[in-house]
Amino acid sequence: MNPFFMEITFNPNAFWKYLQYPFMQKALIAAILIGIICALIGTFVLLRGMVFLGEAIAHSAFAGAALAILLGLDPLLVIMLFSVISSISIGYVNEKKMMKDEIIIGVIFSFFMALAILFISLMPVYSTDVPSILFGNILIISPNTFNLLIFFSFLIIIVIFVIKKELYFMTFDEESAKVSGIPVRLLTYIFLVLVSMTISVSLKAIGAILVFAMIVTPAAAAYQLTFRFNRLLLLAGFFGVFSTVGGLYLSVAFDLPSGSTIVTLITFIFLISFIISPKRRLAHLAHLPTECPYCGEVIDEGSCEDPDCPQSDTPHSHVAHDDHRRGDVVIDKRKLPGKTPSTHEHNGP
Amino acid sequence: MTTKTEVDTFSTRRSLTPLICINNAVVAYQNAVALANINLDVYEGEILGICGPNGSGKSTLLKAILGLVPLSHGTIRFYDKDQQELTCVEYRQDNNLGYVPQVHNIDRNFPALVEDVVAMGRYAQIGFLKRVKKSDPYIENALRLVGMWKFRKRPIGHLSGGQQQKVMIARSLANDPKIMLLDEPTAALDFRIERAIMDLIHQLHQNQNLTIILVTHRMSFLREYTTRVVCLDKSIIWKGEPSDPKLQTIINQLFFQ
Repeated sequence: MNPFFMEITFNPNAFWKYLQYPFMQKALIAAILIGIICALIGTFVLLRGMVFLGEAIAHSAFAGAALAILLGLDPLLVIMLFSVISSISIGYVNEKKMMKDEIIIGVIFSFFMALAILFISLMPVYSTDVPSILFGNILIISPNTFNLLIFFSFLIIIVIFVIKKELYFMTFDEESAKVSGIPVRLLTYIFLVLVSMTISVSLKAIGAILVFAMIVTPAAAAYQLTFRFNRLLLLAGFFGVFSTVGGLYLSVAFDLPSGSTIVTLITFIFLISFIISPKRRLAHLAHLPTECPYCGEVIDEGSCEDPDCPQSDTPHSHVAHDDHRRGDVVIDKRKLPGKTPSTHEHNGP
Repeated sequence: MTTKTEVDTFSTRRSLTPLICINNAVVAYQNAVALANINLDVYEGEILGICGPNGSGKSTLLKAILGLVPLSHGTIRFYDKDQQELTCVEYRQDNNLGYVPQVHNIDRNFPALVEDVVAMGRYAQIGFLKRVKKSDPYIENALRLVGMWKFRKRPIGHLSGGQQQKVMIARSLANDPKIMLLDEPTAALDFRIERAIMDLIHQLHQNQNLTIILVTHRMSFLREYTTRVVCLDKSIIWKGEPSDPKLQTIINQLFFQ
């Protein structure tokens, strides 16, 4: 046996065996909740283009955790305080357009990282809690943290469903949302607080370094597969739960750290959905919308369906150019033997 | 306030009831003045064209009317059908303002179908927690008005620029607004599509009893489609009818000096 590597053993029944104990049941519930909230919040983070804001929040949360360990407080509340402060201050600078958001994110992100290292160096003895915050361990969640996790998860889920439609509009077009009477400013800050809460409650299970993957990757994987917003939320939630529960199972079965197993699994899911993505394939397919030069209508595939089309008797279809933008209209000669349409002309090069 | 002589010159206008009164409005960003001393009334049923060079405050004026940028000085008042004086926020609450922003680059893969985008126009009206019904008559009506009903199941990012602009117009129509504000609706569109969009706007103005405020710097559109023109360069340089020969001189001054 190689002395430099630990022996990896596969124990498929360990998960089921441990499931009768409260610690495993708690871990399972935590995994499901974290999978759901990360995916829900992540979908909006992704669509709003706030990916690196999330990263900054995760690092400030780590500073909060270090301070909590130093002072011997319950980590979750201190973590939450730190991440809310950082997200709101970034949000404020962003709103007032004082500088580019990547600059303020860079400044805050590194400042909190420095704080975290300072707090760790101030500890009289190196606490074993530090690696557990950095890398996460879903199997050791204190009862207090567990209760807070349940409380905040339900809070996040409820709030997201209340403001879902408004957030969606803001994400698509903030100015128009404002004009139509949606309280954009308030909702932006509520959303920032929700992101901070999500990262804080997931920190213990996934770890500060990897928590961010749980926000981005399930949403990114779902994003590859659908054009519908509700399906996107549903798929992201499914991927999130599948990866946290599956990751938990694998981490117990192989005796691996939970956080990294979960993230590896979700990244694998992302890769698969990226490969099978209909969105990327669509770009190379013929049925991009294009206006028929004969009737002005748009045809997906096959014949024109418009009852008012003057040439509806003439089956025509569209093929794409190499630039994938505008297609030619091709007349199906087989369906019209020996017939040339009166007004149809070929639009090709 | 509009003087008597000024009122008489606008013969093409359908009504003399002002919908919006802008009084001495000033917008300043930090220390730079974006708009100075704007006095302008918008009347019911007109198509008001706003033109001016880049950075002349056209979009800022539009945003000030919409209540998106605060005034440093002056007032903008709205009047409803009972001649009640309202602020922008009060006026907006009844969904009287339809806004069509400049076409921005929409992510090709953004998870929204055409009907979802139009439904967004209804969100504020419907309120929190409620869903927009699939068969909402306003959405169907708006999509049919702009001729995009057939496209309702398509992802918005897959449409061409002109089609996206039509969807944006449909979204602002979804609430049955009184005033529609368009910020360069034909920017970045080719000539044929430009004309189609302008014809659509004209048609909506005729059939839907809309008052339209249109930012554009295309001379031909000002002449053909608007009933009144305001030339801006931080402040109002000129206002009058589009057929006035002075307009060309003003435009030459504004753009070519």
